[in-house]
Amino acid sequence: MAHERAQEVALPEPPPGSIADTFRQVLPNVEFQASQTAIDVALTVRREDLRQVMQTAKEHERLAFDFLRCLSGVDHMDGLEVVYHLYSYRLGHSVAIKVRFPYEDPHVPTVSHLWQTANWHERECHEMFGIVFDGHPDLRPLLTEEGLGYYVLRKSHPLAEVEEWQESYLVAAEQAAVQAADAAGEAAPVDERAAKIALAQKKAAITKQVREDAKAKGLSPEEERKAVAEALKALAEEGKGE
Amino acid sequence: MVTEFQLPTERELETIDINVNVGPQHPATHGVFRMVLTVDGEQVVDCDPVIGYLHRGAEKLSENCDYRQAIGFQDRTEYLAQFNVELGYVLAVEKLAGIQVPERAEYIRIILTELNRIASHLMFMGAYSADLGLYGTLYMYAFREREVMQDFFEEITGERMMYSYFRPGGVAWEVPENFRQRCRQVLDSLKRGIEDTDGLMTENEVVMVRCRGLSPVTPEDAINWGLTGPMLRATGLKHDLRRAEPYAIYDRFDFDIPTGSQGDVYDRYLVRLEEMRQSVRIIDQALTQMPKGPIMAGGMKRILRVPPGEIYMRTEAPRGEYGIYLISKGGEKPYRLKIRSGAFSNLSALRNMVVGNYVADAVIILGSIDIVLSEVDR
Repeated sequence: MAHERAQEVALPEPPPGSIADTFRQVLPNVEFQASQTAIDVALTVRREDLRQVMQTAKEHERLAFDFLRCLSGVDHMDGLEVVYHLYSYRLGHSVAIKVRFPYEDPHVPTVSHLWQTANWHERECHEMFGIVFDGHPDLRPLLTEEGLGYYVLRKSHPLAEVEEWQESYLVAAEQAAVQAADAAGEAAPVDERAAKIALAQKKAAITKQVREDAKAKGLSPEEERKAVAEALKALAEEGKGE
Repeated sequence: MVTEFQLPTERELETIDINVNVGPQHPATHGVFRMVLTVDGEQVVDCDPVIGYLHRGAEKLSENCDYRQAIGFQDRTEYLAQFNVELGYVLAVEKLAGIQVPERAEYIRIILTELNRIASHLMFMGAYSADLGLYGTLYMYAFREREVMQDFFEEITGERMMYSYFRPGGVAWEVPENFRQRCRQVLDSLKRGIEDTDGLMTENEVVMVRCRGLSPVTPEDAINWGLTGPMLRATGLKHDLRRAEPYAIYDRFDFDIPTGSQGDVYDRYLVRLEEMRQSVRIIDQALTQMPKGPIMAGGMKRILRVPPGEIYMRTEAPRGEYGIYLISKGGEKPYRLKIRSGAFSNLSALRNMVVGNYVADAVIILGSIDIVLSEVDR
């Protein structure tokens, strides 16, 4: 995997007077972790507070975030995150709201009842990250009609499908070659082990035969051994001749 | 034999809703897009858009490339406004990496981006006239003008469609020597093309009858549904990211933001037509102001490393807000690259706009969204 577990980088605090302060004043009982990104101020909230925060962000007159520009899922490798980029046409300010949760419990309340545009964004996010948006009216897969069954944009899903396919293709090709060799081998079996066993059995049979013959003739043990050696030598020469 | 006439019973008069499947291989769907229309007679009572036929996972692929390689996927994300989306991406990278772009490169980028906006809108005009049943004249006129531009882009970038010309820090190479002169030539031809379009479409009987008052959208609804770009401005809301949150050097140019009044299909067309004229104005000013100098920021390494941070860079593409949500955790690859495309969000409001209208009008409404399926599916 290309991405190692990247250490969390602390982004700087936003300057005083930013939208983060407005949020803190409007919602004093909610805990916000504010940070300044390259353009927007990002506020991380707890999942329990999300519903309240989003409702207030849309409806409060000092916030008036009437437009959800973007909803993105992010896999931080120690948990999942959903980022909502909000913009207010009326007041002309923007903010990013973030919520984090573990892999084991990927549930977030939906915001599609507040901003209708969230509908498709949440469907896509559900499909790509496996995040369940509780209360969403229609959480069917969007881009892959039948659903994939795995979550492609998670970092645990490597971008190696092509290579795996090539690998399995190679394995299949190897197996096919072996099968073809087996099919061809039926006509002339070349099995070394079987051949060795056959040879050993043949030697044993010849040795037994020669010894029995020698005993019948009444030869001495020395002459018997000589006869066995000669018979085996003849067999070896016979094998070479073949 | 005489059959006695009988009044039909109530049961026989009942009509049933029929599902009509439009697409994915259908000229009116502008690519591989399918909509399942439930119709009651001639009226649409439900619409279920089905997308994803062109999904290639550009986001995942970009996360596995370095910052320079990922430019290629931007072109392929939006194959009708490539410079616009390249600009959005390189601006995001530059802002995160703190790269200062030389003046000349800024101007070259703006000129090409605005030319590309005109090319994209011309494509809309051509396809839209075909949707309306005016197939022929305007289609060919629009493509003639677009072809002039494609040739011009090819002279500069060496490619007809997939330019990959903008780079973090500037542009890939210097433009040809006769750039200014050629650009003026193209502009003259474009002005003629825009006037042709105006003359053929704006007061055309067919266009007026079919488009005026069709599927009006209020600004409140448009915002809630996530409409951006010309779709939003047609409702009367004067909002253009080039003005509202100026990026690049758009604050140096004088241009108007055209708006509609009712947000109907006709207004969407008028806004796009006027936007082309404004783009011509911007290019005109940019050509006059364009200085000489370097085209690439100094000290750029071959492999770009971006410090940790995140950015949601939004630009005004021809189809609305084009957002790049880029997270860097250091290193040479983007950690996460989310593409928020205008056409995706605009298309998600299709059901709201189509339901209650006639089937024949559904095709026009879909055409007026000006979708590019590669941008919708990414």
